[in-house]
Amino acid sequence: MDPRELPDEELWLQMQDDLYDGERDAVCDAVRVALDRGHGPSTVLAEGLVAGMDIVGADFRDGVLFVPEVLLAANAMKAGMEILRPLLVETGAARIGTLVIGTVKGDIHDIGKNLVAMMMEGAGFEVINLGINNDAERFLGAVRQHRPDIIGMSALLTTTMPYMKVVIQALIDEGLRDQVFVMVGGAPVTESFARQVGADAYGRDAATAVELARGHMRQKLAS
Amino acid sequence: MSDSSGRRRERRARQDAARQVAMQPISYRPPPFDLLSPGEIERLHQAALRILGEYGIDFYDDEMLAVLRAHGIAVSGSTARFSPAQIEQYVALAPAQFVQRARNPANNVVIGGDQMVFAPVYGPPFVQDLAGGRREATIADFENFVKLAYLSPHIHHSGGTIVEPTDEPVATRHLDMLYRHIRFSDKAFMGSVTSGENAADSVALAELVFGAAAIREQPALLSLINVSSPRRYDERMLAALKVYARARQALVITPFILAGAMGPASIAGTLAQQHAEALAGIALTQMIEPGTPVVYGSFLTNIDLQSGAPVFGSPESQIGLYASAQLARRQRLPFRGGGMFSSSKLPDAQAGYESIMVMQPTLLARTNFVLHAAGWLENGLVAGYEKFVLDCEILGMLHVWARGIDCSDEALAFDAHDEVPPGGHYLGTAHTLRHFRDAFYRAELFDYTSAEQWQLNGAQDSFARAAHKVRALLDSYQLPPIDPAIDAAVCGWIARRRAEIGQRPQEF
Repeated sequence: MDPRELPDEELWLQMQDDLYDGERDAVCDAVRVALDRGHGPSTVLAEGLVAGMDIVGADFRDGVLFVPEVLLAANAMKAGMEILRPLLVETGAARIGTLVIGTVKGDIHDIGKNLVAMMMEGAGFEVINLGINNDAERFLGAVRQHRPDIIGMSALLTTTMPYMKVVIQALIDEGLRDQVFVMVGGAPVTESFARQVGADAYGRDAATAVELARGHMRQKLAS
Repeated sequence: MSDSSGRRRERRARQDAARQVAMQPISYRPPPFDLLSPGEIERLHQAALRILGEYGIDFYDDEMLAVLRAHGIAVSGSTARFSPAQIEQYVALAPAQFVQRARNPANNVVIGGDQMVFAPVYGPPFVQDLAGGRREATIADFENFVKLAYLSPHIHHSGGTIVEPTDEPVATRHLDMLYRHIRFSDKAFMGSVTSGENAADSVALAELVFGAAAIREQPALLSLINVSSPRRYDERMLAALKVYARARQALVITPFILAGAMGPASIAGTLAQQHAEALAGIALTQMIEPGTPVVYGSFLTNIDLQSGAPVFGSPESQIGLYASAQLARRQRLPFRGGGMFSSSKLPDAQAGYESIMVMQPTLLARTNFVLHAAGWLENGLVAGYEKFVLDCEILGMLHVWARGIDCSDEALAFDAHDEVPPGGHYLGTAHTLRHFRDAFYRAELFDYTSAEQWQLNGAQDSFARAAHKVRALLDSYQLPPIDPAIDAAVCGWIARRRAEIGQRPQEF
């Protein structure tokens, strides 16, 4: 169906459905049509993309959607966001947030971390993915360069988990700790470990991590 | 939420529901596991022939003794002694496999060859569930289990006396049970064996549902004849056996042996006895009606020689199962054995371990007809609701197991290897997107969430999750369609028969 022929209300629904189906090109078309009609980028974001990803998130949580389907939807979301992001910056509209994410030094197990990164992108976050085996210097450098709202650290090995504390200490030493919300995750990581190392939040799975990140941004933007 | 996504969700729910109800037949692709060498199997076979020739088998039915005599078998008193040639000659007349009709032809089952058919537990006088504990089984329980078996895609057969409906009069109980199988399911079912008359009623009802000629071409009933081991067929079983054989309805001839009590305190000796008993009964069915479909059955476990209690899930019963299947294959007969056996009172760790300890050999032995594939607890005294659905979960997994490994080009997935760099992931490849829904078995009752999520969800164990599943299944149940004329004929026939039986003085 040609999105140009749809009245606004149906255009949003179409955008949400295309997002749900992971139809990247169709989502981008619908975003452009909405912008052409004079809708502001934050309206397109809220009415189309975010509303669509909320449905994806709920169906994923309820076991209707599978991981590969969510990744497709997240990719479509990311593509839509790439069109909107410069416009959002231009208009000074509320940002969704920026996230720096990586596995800590000594750990090359990154599938879970990549899943979180993709789901964050799916939620509209700008994600700087540092990849695997990151030392404190890499995290510090990324914080200085990208000025993220959040940094996320991941580990699969009990032997590499303690390095999260090293990174957090480095943030404190450099006077950067107050500027970022620190989230940690990974199979052996627990809520109490997160508190122990001085992190702000622990995401037990990718969907929870996204919820926590969105919660933090709501709080941050409200204050 | 938007309307269109609401519609999508409905569509998905419908697709899921459709997937749930369709029965999945099971073809066992890998080679069956042979525990014994051909030489060892031959030694067991020779031992059985010696038992048949020297000690013979007792038949407590004059008419059947006359049939045996007429076919040249040496009969003295009620004992029949068979020569090796007589056994080979008559057993060879039985078909290697056959089709049993179901009311829904899509649910017809092949019994034999590389096909495996799973049927519910048979015979428990008690039921057990999380909410109500252990109690006497009623016709309402019977109906519930027929529904659960109908709803599971991993149960291929509606079974027989899934539970004994103790609230119905004994003389007409078989009618109550048969009607539930006919009306509340459309899968194949078993006939009554509690008397010759009840067997005749079963045949009459099958004729009404399927047609008298049709059931003689392909049987509509599969009925369970137990040998009262050691070496004895009783009046009741023989009365049912002859009715079914004459109507060319399928029979499962099963020596019921608890080694140590009803067989020697050794597996080899017990296997020889079982083989002798089974072959004698199978030969008799072929003398009555050559070509009658018949299954070589084994119900073999041991007692605890310290206490005398029967033991289910013992290692001896498992190795006995493999050898029994080999003996049936030696005769080119369909094989019945195994099941989700347990001595446990609850669907707990003991129940789970014991059940899979028997069910895995049942699968590897390529057992053609598996009675007691779901619901068995407490040595068969109890049918567990939660145990039933938990067993079905494992049966689903065994369906995957039985397929072996697909080694096609598509399964080798070179486009996925091509797409993913070292250290990358396969979650989003085109190959994954083509297959993610059915690439791997997805258990419903086993929890794969994180510990924190599991806590948040109420920290339920599998017993509690199964209880929810039982309720959800029974709530979702819908009657399968039936031709109203057939239903009316069946109901009318049962009402007349019930009145007839009701006028007789009760023997109990």
